[in-house]
Amino acid sequence: MSFGSLFPALHRMEEKGWVEAEWRASENNRRAKYYRLTSSGRAQLRAEERDWSQVVKIMTAAVEST
Amino acid sequence: MPGRIASFFRNLLRKRAIEQALDDELKSAVELLAQEKMKQGLSHPEARRQAVIELGGVEQVKEEVRAIRSGMFLETFAQDLRYTLRILRKSPGFTTVAVLTLALGIGANAAIFSYIDAWFIKPLPYPQPDRLVIFETQDKKHGWTSGGVTSAGDFFDFQKQNTLFEQTVAWGGASLNLTGDGLPELVDGGRVSWNFFDTLGAKPILGRTFTAEDDRSGAPHVAILSQGLWQGRYAGDPKIIGRNIAIGGEAYTVVGVMPGTFQLPLMGIANLWTPLALTDMQRADRGNVWLPAFGRLKPVVTLEQARAETATFFAHLEKEFPKTNTNLTWLVSSMTDRIRKEEGGPEVMICFIVVGLVLLIACANVANLMLARATSRTREFAVRGALGATRRRLAGQLLTESLLLFLVGGVASLLFASWGMRWIESQIPGHIRGYIVNYGHVELDFSMLMFTLGITLLCGLVFGFAPAFENSRLDVNHTLKETSGQTSGSKRGARLRRIFVAAEIALAVVVLISATLLVKSFIISVRSSPGYNPANVLVAQLALPKTKYTEDSQFRNFSDEVLSRIRALPGAASTSVASHVPFGGFGQGIEFQVVGKPLQPGERQGAPFTAVSADYFSTMQIGLVKGRFFDSSDAYGTSPSIIISQTMARQLLSGEDPIGKKLRLGEQHSVGTIVGIVNDIKIYYLRERPGRHIYVPLAQCPSRTFGFVVRSSGDPTIMATAIRDAIWAVDRDQPISSVEPLKNLIAVVNTGDRVVADLMVFFSVLAMFLGAIGIYGVMAHLVSQRIHEIGIRMALGASPVHVMRMVLSQGLKLALGGVGAGVLAALGATRLLATQLYQVTPTDPLTFIGVPLLLAIVALAACYVPAWRGMRVDPLVALRYE
Repeated sequence: MSFGSLFPALHRMEEKGWVEAEWRASENNRRAKYYRLTSSGRAQLRAEERDWSQVVKIMTAAVEST
Repeated sequence: MPGRIASFFRNLLRKRAIEQALDDELKSAVELLAQEKMKQGLSHPEARRQAVIELGGVEQVKEEVRAIRSGMFLETFAQDLRYTLRILRKSPGFTTVAVLTLALGIGANAAIFSYIDAWFIKPLPYPQPDRLVIFETQDKKHGWTSGGVTSAGDFFDFQKQNTLFEQTVAWGGASLNLTGDGLPELVDGGRVSWNFFDTLGAKPILGRTFTAEDDRSGAPHVAILSQGLWQGRYAGDPKIIGRNIAIGGEAYTVVGVMPGTFQLPLMGIANLWTPLALTDMQRADRGNVWLPAFGRLKPVVTLEQARAETATFFAHLEKEFPKTNTNLTWLVSSMTDRIRKEEGGPEVMICFIVVGLVLLIACANVANLMLARATSRTREFAVRGALGATRRRLAGQLLTESLLLFLVGGVASLLFASWGMRWIESQIPGHIRGYIVNYGHVELDFSMLMFTLGITLLCGLVFGFAPAFENSRLDVNHTLKETSGQTSGSKRGARLRRIFVAAEIALAVVVLISATLLVKSFIISVRSSPGYNPANVLVAQLALPKTKYTEDSQFRNFSDEVLSRIRALPGAASTSVASHVPFGGFGQGIEFQVVGKPLQPGERQGAPFTAVSADYFSTMQIGLVKGRFFDSSDAYGTSPSIIISQTMARQLLSGEDPIGKKLRLGEQHSVGTIVGIVNDIKIYYLRERPGRHIYVPLAQCPSRTFGFVVRSSGDPTIMATAIRDAIWAVDRDQPISSVEPLKNLIAVVNTGDRVVADLMVFFSVLAMFLGAIGIYGVMAHLVSQRIHEIGIRMALGASPVHVMRMVLSQGLKLALGGVGAGVLAALGATRLLATQLYQVTPTDPLTFIGVPLLLAIVALAACYVPAWRGMRVDPLVALRYE
């Protein structure tokens, strides 16, 4: 995953309301945009983690049964 | 979801701020990344450069982020639209050709569709038209149907005893003599039962419709006029209701006027209606099957229920009246189906399919044009790609381009469509209109506009995808480094174009073969001999009114006097008269039995029947096969003589000599002797198969109706006036229905075939023209792509002729591929035409060889110019060509 593909992903999540952004001063006093997970974003993340572990379980079972 | 909606509006309204924010964000990201790299020891410019590379290009990332935004679609679309308009305006040649091609293709389809709509889709203009059904007598055993009529006895009994019909109506076409208030005029109209108009839901614009009291024999005479007749002959008289007019010499009171839009297509043109008013004897007559009838089903009754009730009723009648009703029943069919079937349904369908194929050819041409243009724009796309345009974006813009082209073409097509519609309508002669739904009038209405919009969008999407797909798929780097000409993208595009052109040629072959078969049928049917010679023959038709002429001697005197007057005219080479003439619009039939060959009980036998003057056959030039024509020995009072047609002789008396045999004719069972056999003639359609015909001498069998036939050498219009004057000299008040060349009468009946043939010729020319342009375009492009290669070949010693041959052979291969595919497709497709063809097989070898040959030649000719240009290439110029 390149650095560049991060930006569209972040903006997509921002549109959906899963992350919030704010401009803050960075270490060397430049303005930078900081992203933070919102509560609905956290819920989404948990849901996706659940789905992912489900997939892992199924795949493991499949592999073990062969 | 609410988050998305909020973002949508935010993006639209605060665009500049958002762009600025994105710019800032990326700038700061690059800076941060650069800072980290500098910590690893790189210089600032090098660190920045590496940071940008790692990011993946600032503009590219910006584009990707922009693509994510909600509401981007609208913005993109608006942008694409503006860009497209600019581009199309910049290449007016391409735009004009594309739009014109589409306008022709879509316009032709829309015009034919308007007829499909009027014929098949629109319901009849009566309230609840699906409740209307037609009754006709059918012989179950022998499988013949009466052609839309029944007997009065059967009808009136059914009317009294049925339970499933709201209304039942009987009617008859009539030609009514109008005198007084101007020249005597024969007006087409109808005698109808009193509920005729009410059942059809027709409301008068003045006065009333008929009542049950009007419809009784002996009731005071009343009449209803059409709007056209009222405004014409009676000059729109405001006091028309209650006015007396003279019909057939008797006084009728006008009680109503029907609007000009009212029409029953089965009745044809009708301008005047009177009540049927049958006598009790006529109502009880079960033997003669002559009365057209229809009915309106009660609201919840189905057609099946009606058919069941009818079947039982007629089974009952069969038992009660075995002499007249054995084997007979009623065929009950939907009026909508009957009207659609009668009036050229299959022909319209064929035209629709053929014109659809032409549209495909046109679209393929436009797609090819777009592909060609796109290959010259690969550099433009590569640059846009480098600037960050996603593939989807590029494809979207190309699709917008095609859609816009197609939409403009679609709008322009409406002009061609209305021209087409007007032309077709102008080809339909006056009295035929009456039999065509809505008088053959079609308009640019909502459904037609929807259809045009629909196929425009459909074709735009389908054919727009090809260039969009092809040209968005680019390797930006590769393309920018290539010299134009042999770009890899153009190679793929060229293959697609070749496929399109081959497909076009195949479709053109199918169109041309189908059209040729149909036109061939038409020409054969027109050229086929009708059994007589219609050239230079004028026909004057009239009917003597019952009130003035009651005795046979009066009929005879009238016709004798008119004949002698016409014979005295200088131009009249040969004159005779018959009770009715071929293609005159009506005929008579008579029942007969061969003496010595009795029929089974309940079986009946009939044939068309004409009473003719002695010299009729020589005037018409009908050939004698055996025996003799009528002559002076067949006078009034002597035993009747009969002449029959050859087919009738073959069918009934094969193996025997018909001359001398006796026939029992008609209700009176008068016995006549066969004295001659003549060639078969055509009386209703050019494509009819030869059938039976019985002729009797007019002297022995007087008729009230006459068709005077005059073979003249002079100017037909002058003769027509002279003939009219001759008739009026005998009876000043005799209305004459028409004086026309026999050829015109035949042509009028043949209108449908003629219009289809004309359309087919037009479609073929269009298809061939478009196909030729298609091939030319592809070959020209191919040559220009290979200019470099040609230059090399010529520098290496290839002669110009060699180059030309190379180009031509490539074009020929393409054309032959398309032609081959087309012939195969046509072999399957022409089966569908079988019912429309006349003496031409669906796989007519001459057509299947001739058409491909023609198209191959045309294709070759289209390749010639590009090949010639290729030949003229100067190798020095070509080698430097980039």
